[in-house]
Amino acid sequence: MDLVAGRVYADERRPIRHVDVFLLVVVGLLLLAGFFLLYSATNQTLKQDHLDPFLRVNKQMVTAAIGIVLILLMATFDYRFLKVYASFIYAGVVLSLILVRVPFLGSSAAGAQRWFEVAGFQITPSEFAKLGLIVMLAASLSELKHSVPTMQDVIRLCAITLVPLILVFTQPDIGTSIVMVAIAAGMFLVAGVRGRHLASLVVICLVLIAAAFQLGVIKTYQLDRLRAFLDRENTPADVRYNLDQAEIAVGSGGLIGQGYLHGRQTTLDYVPEQHTDFIFTVAGEEFGFVGALFVLLLFALLLWRAIRIAYLSKDPFGTYLATGVAIMFAIQMFVNIGMVIGIMPITGIPLPFLSYGGSSMLASCLGVGILLNVHMRRFK
Amino acid sequence: MERAGSRLRMLAFVVAFMFVALSTRLWFLQVLAGPQHDRDARDNSLRTVTTDALRGDIVDRAGRRLVRNRISLEVRINRDELGDDREATLANLSEILGVPAQDLGEALDTKLYYSYQPVPVAEFVPEEVYFKIREEPEKYPGVEVVEQSVRAYPQGSLAAHLVGWVGQISADELDAPRFSGYGPSDTVGKAGVEATYERWLRGEPGEERFLVNSDGEVLREFDPKPPAPGHDLQMALDLDVQRIAEQELEAGVKRARTVWDESSGSSLAANAGAVVVLDPKTGGIVAMASWPTFRPSWFVRGLTEPQRETLFESPQAPMLNRATQITYAPGSTFKPFVALAAVKEGLASLGGYYDCPAEYVHPGDESGAIFHNWDGTGAGTLSIASGLKISCDTQYYKWGSDFWFRDAATNKEELQRRVRQWGFGRDSGVDLPAEASGTVPDRKYVADHRSVYPDGWIPGIDILLAIGSGEMKATPLQVAQAYGALATGKLCRPHLVSRIEDGGGDVTKRVGGHCRKIPYTQAELSYIREALRGVTEGGTASTVFSGCPLDVAGKTGTAERPPFQDTSWFAGVVPAEDPQYIVLATVEQGGFGAETAAPIVRNIMSRIYRVPCEGPELGSSED
Repeated sequence: MDLVAGRVYADERRPIRHVDVFLLVVVGLLLLAGFFLLYSATNQTLKQDHLDPFLRVNKQMVTAAIGIVLILLMATFDYRFLKVYASFIYAGVVLSLILVRVPFLGSSAAGAQRWFEVAGFQITPSEFAKLGLIVMLAASLSELKHSVPTMQDVIRLCAITLVPLILVFTQPDIGTSIVMVAIAAGMFLVAGVRGRHLASLVVICLVLIAAAFQLGVIKTYQLDRLRAFLDRENTPADVRYNLDQAEIAVGSGGLIGQGYLHGRQTTLDYVPEQHTDFIFTVAGEEFGFVGALFVLLLFALLLWRAIRIAYLSKDPFGTYLATGVAIMFAIQMFVNIGMVIGIMPITGIPLPFLSYGGSSMLASCLGVGILLNVHMRRFK
Repeated sequence: MERAGSRLRMLAFVVAFMFVALSTRLWFLQVLAGPQHDRDARDNSLRTVTTDALRGDIVDRAGRRLVRNRISLEVRINRDELGDDREATLANLSEILGVPAQDLGEALDTKLYYSYQPVPVAEFVPEEVYFKIREEPEKYPGVEVVEQSVRAYPQGSLAAHLVGWVGQISADELDAPRFSGYGPSDTVGKAGVEATYERWLRGEPGEERFLVNSDGEVLREFDPKPPAPGHDLQMALDLDVQRIAEQELEAGVKRARTVWDESSGSSLAANAGAVVVLDPKTGGIVAMASWPTFRPSWFVRGLTEPQRETLFESPQAPMLNRATQITYAPGSTFKPFVALAAVKEGLASLGGYYDCPAEYVHPGDESGAIFHNWDGTGAGTLSIASGLKISCDTQYYKWGSDFWFRDAATNKEELQRRVRQWGFGRDSGVDLPAEASGTVPDRKYVADHRSVYPDGWIPGIDILLAIGSGEMKATPLQVAQAYGALATGKLCRPHLVSRIEDGGGDVTKRVGGHCRKIPYTQAELSYIREALRGVTEGGTASTVFSGCPLDVAGKTGTAERPPFQDTSWFAGVVPAEDPQYIVLATVEQGGFGAETAAPIVRNIMSRIYRVPCEGPELGSSED
């Protein structure tokens, strides 16, 4: 008898017997790798400021511990409750995105209104908005009356996506916006939205992006970053700096790396934002091609488990949930690492589990919790 | 969920593609381009600031300065400190320097320096610029005025070919192994002893190395290396003699231009010339003049367009050192060496008498080639000494023929081997760059130059070689060196520099004294010296030296150089009894040796010894 989810399971289908241990091990390894990389990226600077060199690693460990608690909490109740409360979750997310824009409530940096300051922790609602969107879309998709979504369905789903998307985009947070668009597009695809509907969505997106450029919603620095990516030779040195230093760091790692805590670029602090968005450069420089591939391998295993869970779930809601989370991890990993090694423009997306930052860590853990939950209760 | 399953597979493919893209890019970045990035990472953090060492001075044998350093004020801009004020700063600088801001901007955009290294934008600025910048530093962020040492030439153009000049290192030099350790903005010796003794003169630049982080903060400073100043060069040169040599060469060349030349039907062109004054006991070069000449100071501030044209594009080629870089047929100055070869090889003897007919035909030659005496007359039967005195050619034609017959039998090229003993046909080893080594035509040379010798190895080659003509070529310095050996019995490597001293005046290295005995007896050498004394006492140069109390042994030379006018030579030894100097003059298109070159040598000797030598300013028309 398992009363937590309010239903009765046959003995062999009890959720506790279907915990995806493999997934937990992979996440554990990613977290562990993250601590090592973070220490390397931050200890020198902290020492120079006469601070505890473990300051940031300790803080990240605390966040990770909270994250693990969230994973376990998430696994204890039946994920189908999320479907029941999807509207509330969605509303809450949208509300927080509005509140973060209110002066005195939300904090800002570099002209972007992005987070709440709570008891020394920064809470970034856009990180959680991604999960809110996944839950809301999964709930809507699983309740569709037709096996192939109609025009009206697609319009409704787009509206659901657009509300948080516009709020995030205008913060402005282009990175998270890209992730949200990818999540929506991927979930539509898996839900079987018609090809011509998807095509018209792409056209509308392009028009909107062009409009954003025209109306000046895109900031100059974002344009510069894009230009730096498209036409590197002719970009001013200061804009190119991030890209160049990151590439030098990763490239100088060679096959087996400079050795832990021995990367020149890392120890001498040549890569800006190295502990957050550019954490991958530490793996590349200090552990070389081998180390970088190891990190990629961990992500590959994570995504394999996520897609497998989506596939195994007998419940459409569970499939869509897992799909959304898988896409979230995939796109964040690809855009972040791609940016670090120069095949994607700079957009400010954190690398799940590795980048320093509380909200990103917690949101990623919640995502894992959802995956775990769907796996545990994949039978109808 | 069946359809969802196939669409999930599509998603899986997309994700797999992401991993392929990322790993491919990582392979290129880390494995293929890894070493380059590794260097970039090192360049990022290691900064080297070099301080130039003071270049050594160049002085003459009495310590009088030929080349020294002087201070020039240089404006430099540090681009890192300039920041956003570039336009305004350049405009302000442009105003006080009187240079367009655009030019300053172009100078600043050079790729020769790292962004943290100050870039020189103006040299030789007046002191007031320094004060103006110091008064209002806020108008000139990142601008500094520093003292820079440049070359100065207190003696003007004197010895220009010998000291040479310095300039910024070229791209080719920078790649050469001997310039390893040089930077792209370094100054190097380009000609003369500035080039030969570059590694001594330069000194060791000082170096400070820092490890810096991304903010430019210095994390670690490695032990700085202070600059070590360059060594000073003391030359064997005597400034007074050098000045005399240059003045007399120029005067002699200009006098020659007033002479009417019968054979060419015009005045002598006398377009260039050289003088060498050698200490035969050591090989030290006391003076070496080449005309036309130039001013090394032109290079200090960079050449103007007319200067560049004069130096590099005019047919006079004033940068060429005619004493070492151009070869001429030595003409009759070559005869003493051929006479000794004939004696040594048993074709003649010091006591013998030899016919001096008006013309000579090689025995058995039916081509109709006739070899004439220079004056077209015969002189009966003469000793070797008398033959040298009047510069009889037909005696030597005969020996040339004899050598050819001998060679046809033995294949040993005895004449060529003998004249090479005097240093002909190879580098003298003088401490000047780009020396010409000349030629002694032999079988191999003839085989390699079929266009010059369409008939191949024929007797005429040895016959002309015997009078220092044809393809026999030597630099004036080689001829002077050979006369030095004639005077002392030792062949010495000629040298301009005699000592290299460090900053404290201690001698680091002595140059010179590389002499070796030549395989001729004292009797043979003194016979020839005595014979050459006859040249100035009753011989071809007697008119020139008639009023000169100095004891001079010498030899005139007039070398044909079709289609040009003859090359005029005179090589003299003074005093003949105890040789102190070899004085040699060569004038391109200068006519007879006794006419142009001999008076130059006489005047130089007269001024060195401060004894008046009466005699015609233009000599006689004699070989």
